[in-house]
Amino acid sequence: MDGLLSVCHGYEAKQRIVRNLIDKVMDEINEGTLLKKNLIWLELTGCSGNIISLLNGANPDFKYLMTKMANLVYSNSLMTAEGEDAVSHLVNVMNTDFILAVEGAVATKNNGLYNVIGKWRGEPLTALKAVKMLGEKAQHVMAIGACATHGGVSAAHPNPAKCVSVQSVLKRKVIKLPGCPCHPDWFMGTLAEILLYDAPKLDAKDRPVLFYSTLIHDRCPRRSFFDKGIFAKKLGDHTCMFKLGCRGPVTRTDCPVRQWNKYVNWPVEDDTPCIGCAQFGFPDLMEPFISYDTTRKERE
Amino acid sequence: MTKKIVINPVTRISGFMEIEAIIENNKIMDAKTEGLLYRGFEKMLMGRNPFDAVYFTQRICGICSTAHSMASTIALEDAMKFIPTEQGRYLRDIIHGCEFLQNHLRHFYQYTIPDFVRLPNNYPLYTTEHDDFRMPSKINDLIVSHYFESLEMSRSAHEMLAVLGGKAPHNHGVFIGGISTQATTDKIIKIKSILHTISEFIEEKMMPDVYKISEYYQDYFQNGCGYNNLLSYGCFNDYKDLGTLYIDPSINLDGKVLPFKSERISEEIEHSWYSGEQKSYKPLERLPEEDMNKPKAYSWIKAPRYENVPFETGPLARQWLSGAYRNGISTMDRTIARVLEARKIVQVMEILIKNLIPNISVQSEYKVPQKAQGAGLIDTTRGALGHWIKIGDQKISFYQIITPSAWNLSTQSCENMKGTAEQALIGTVIQDSDNPVELGRIIRSFDPCISCATHVYSDRKPVKIMKVVP
Repeated sequence: MDGLLSVCHGYEAKQRIVRNLIDKVMDEINEGTLLKKNLIWLELTGCSGNIISLLNGANPDFKYLMTKMANLVYSNSLMTAEGEDAVSHLVNVMNTDFILAVEGAVATKNNGLYNVIGKWRGEPLTALKAVKMLGEKAQHVMAIGACATHGGVSAAHPNPAKCVSVQSVLKRKVIKLPGCPCHPDWFMGTLAEILLYDAPKLDAKDRPVLFYSTLIHDRCPRRSFFDKGIFAKKLGDHTCMFKLGCRGPVTRTDCPVRQWNKYVNWPVEDDTPCIGCAQFGFPDLMEPFISYDTTRKERE
Repeated sequence: MTKKIVINPVTRISGFMEIEAIIENNKIMDAKTEGLLYRGFEKMLMGRNPFDAVYFTQRICGICSTAHSMASTIALEDAMKFIPTEQGRYLRDIIHGCEFLQNHLRHFYQYTIPDFVRLPNNYPLYTTEHDDFRMPSKINDLIVSHYFESLEMSRSAHEMLAVLGGKAPHNHGVFIGGISTQATTDKIIKIKSILHTISEFIEEKMMPDVYKISEYYQDYFQNGCGYNNLLSYGCFNDYKDLGTLYIDPSINLDGKVLPFKSERISEEIEHSWYSGEQKSYKPLERLPEEDMNKPKAYSWIKAPRYENVPFETGPLARQWLSGAYRNGISTMDRTIARVLEARKIVQVMEILIKNLIPNISVQSEYKVPQKAQGAGLIDTTRGALGHWIKIGDQKISFYQIITPSAWNLSTQSCENMKGTAEQALIGTVIQDSDNPVELGRIIRSFDPCISCATHVYSDRKPVKIMKVVP
């Protein structure tokens, strides 16, 4: 485990780390020492962007996840069944060993009735009811993306829907994978750790240390500009984004070394500030996202 | 015999919705479509930094986030009286094109195909109760292999988007002036290479697949028709040097293609859970307050109208209005048009890429006006998207969003005209009312995005009885 962790911090190993974990899981499944577990992907009050991000994952990709790693029994975006036939998948899995992955916040206003994710025997199944029902029985609960980990944009001021995090409605450990969206590797790697070791190593805020241990600022390729005091004045500049409001100094993820979408780019490399989408408090505490004068007033 | 059928959730869409249909002698006599997710973006945006709208509004929708970055950017530019350079427009339209491809690939393969093609049902994700799969196993299995291959293609479409946009979903690239970064030669050639692979997949697999499905489901050219009113705000159009590469703003009403006039857009609330001084609003007027006690109301989705009439918007509307495809207006035509449009978008992107000047920087330091208002109207993957913004004291003082799915899945209007998709359901013959597979197929042909359609504020949702009533 420690060996794997130290490898992860190397730039060239970013693609290998998740793959290695998954290969190990696969070996154990093939050897019969590990059984494929049921996996529920529950979309709640949000934009359903984390499932799209999951589909963007490559090596391991979604096909590998659903055919080799786990029995994906429920996904509103992808499952063939509809109506009560779909909801029956959730009901049938209740008494088995299963892992619950939740994206989206939990709307609580009016007893959760305004976010109905389906119906069972004629009764509305609210996001609130579904997450409580499944969350109490699951072997592991993973909150995927900012809305699930702390309310995110769904809970932005004035929080019209009274959205809360998954943890707020469950009295149990919830593994938290913040990000808007969550990087597919953060989910796949954490799932692999759960399948292999049962308990992934988490920090004090229940984030897997494998992905969330280090500040963006500490590994930013533009750090030397910061150290020399060379700052971007507008988007598109190739220097440090700090004075445009970059949240890299307060956000812990491996974006600078991992990058996004088949590891092709990330916001700072796109000449924009990090907006702290993987930091608790996003979006309200991370705004303004774009500002041209964060320090100028003091100077003048 | 009258039966009420309720489907909830309608899976394989973005977000949550319910279809309610009244069936008499196997025919749909009445239908309602309802969105079941409410967050309240327009209220959240009040008081925020106007520039932040570009990144903030993308969070309305995870599958079409770029659409909102486009509309919000154009609305801000309008408010700032800022005219982007042609190179800036090419660059952000390339990003937008990547999002079209990602959406159309995923909608066709991941959302539509499972309705018509039997996926390997040893996986719980692909089991289903109905048995209306008509293709011989050899053809069926070929399309199944394309279903899995398409995962690589849609992923590549987002990879291409991230080359200029930083990441996807929720890109950082689209901004006032065009995009944040510069398109260097290495980035341009990377995009060209990915686009080439996607183009081959569309030509060799996606196009044959949709025509093959249409052969075995000919009856779907007869249902899902609706009003035949079509609307587009235009996209990939009106370039100074390149002219219009896809479609100019236009409408089709009573069989005539006419120019589009933005001042004719209104939103009605007669059958939605809102009340105000008027039953109908212009986009920049005050937002009505929610009101659950209206007897006629049945949905949180409002009713966008053009000249007080419901319109269909999206790939079929654009293909029809631009003259590219005029076979008909139906479930299957809508699905074919989406695939044809994917091919069209590739062609448009190729022209834009060819006209790029590498390394151009289109960014400057922008100032938020003290007081201003603006509109950003653009056609995006699912159809006509509008953002309207008012700025006061350098903050957002008003924000209005009317999405394509609000047009297509709107409620009934004041004159009791059904919403577009509701009308498309009515009259459909249901083969097996225990497995009314037609409903989902028709609704999915509109590619509903309920995350988008029900972004507005709401307070509560009444409990409704859900069962099949004899």
